[in-house]
Amino acid sequence: MRITILNGNPNAENTRFDNYLKSLSDLLESSNHTVTTLKLREMDIKYCIGCFNCWVKTPGECRVADDSRDVCREYINSDLVLFVSPIIMGFTSTLLKKAHEKLLPLLLPYVELVQNESHHVSRYEKYPRIGLLLEKEKDTDDEDLKIITDIYKRDAINFKTSFCFTKLITDSAEEVTNEINSI
Amino acid sequence: MKLIVFNGSPRGKESTTTILLKHFSDGFMATEENTHELAYLNHVKDSEKFIKLFREAEQVLLAFPLYDDVMPAIVKTFIESLEPFCGRADNPSIGFLVQSGFAEANHSRYVERYLEKLARRLSCQYLGTVIKGNANRIEEQPGWMTKKIFKSFHELGRTFGKTGEFDKQILLKLAKPEKLSAFQLWIFRLILKTPLANLNWNKLLKENKTFEKRFNKPYVDEIIS
Repeated sequence: MRITILNGNPNAENTRFDNYLKSLSDLLESSNHTVTTLKLREMDIKYCIGCFNCWVKTPGECRVADDSRDVCREYINSDLVLFVSPIIMGFTSTLLKKAHEKLLPLLLPYVELVQNESHHVSRYEKYPRIGLLLEKEKDTDDEDLKIITDIYKRDAINFKTSFCFTKLITDSAEEVTNEINSI
Repeated sequence: MKLIVFNGSPRGKESTTTILLKHFSDGFMATEENTHELAYLNHVKDSEKFIKLFREAEQVLLAFPLYDDVMPAIVKTFIESLEPFCGRADNPSIGFLVQSGFAEANHSRYVERYLEKLARRLSCQYLGTVIKGNANRIEEQPGWMTKKIFKSFHELGRTFGKTGEFDKQILLKLAKPEKLSAFQLWIFRLILKTPLANLNWNKLLKENKTFEKRFNKPYVDEIIS
């Protein structure tokens, strides 16, 4: 599989986090996956300003020529995308959220019914499956993990795909690799 | 009552969130002794000012449009800046307003759970979440469609200004429909078969001379089959 890891760790001093991802990436490659890790904190990604120009002025692309275009390119060409982030104030990082909402041009403005709800129409024929890999903050509890997971499950509906798993970086890289190999 | 309103629309003043807040605030200010202050979170560099406003507030209303079924990144930036306030004894009460372009309130129920937990995390009294769907480009919707909505927001603000609580009946009314009914689904499916379904988007595409490019797939050549 072609796998993209969106590393939403904003803190370069959190080496435990990045080292874990390096181990995971190595293990996945040794399982014959092609892995691209995008270290979002080293990329220039502006906030989405909700202008919808990616739908009506430059269809399919954000009008701002920032690195979100690279994120979109990697995303849509992947079989699996891992959203990876420390939990900060009960949710994934701002860094990851910034990149996430700039995926909007991958959809069309039009609306259709999916599971009897209104959702935007696909622009592409195929979207990657998604998974979550999180680092707990000190007060993270099961309710937090359920809230985050449920919101990303909604995202899977929005992006016409399936949600595979929520894992923690306290789970071994081998365990996460096995989970991915079983997809 | 002193209310601090954080407008979390990335579009700032030119936004649906601003319009809904205006009607709410007008109602809130109908009670003489009330005061309110408005801060625009899209001015991300004003983070210090936002923190100061939060620290000194009695009541806070955080309002934003739904992005990816959750808050926009500018709002998450603000929330992360509040981390030092977790567990502080004298935090303000906090309520939320979430608006989206989708008709159904259900889209916003997931972030509502997050917001309720956020209030607990901050040890703020949770005042509830106002959810309003079908609000995209509300300024362009005809008056007969918006009159009742704006009136409801005014009334919600007025009663909040008196009691410090959201009127539960108005919340329920604004959130309708929670999900599309069988009849609404039937109408929806019917509309989807007609040019009416995409009328507004196609109008914008034609105005921008991009209609022919509407299905562009700038990254399609690289898709692995």
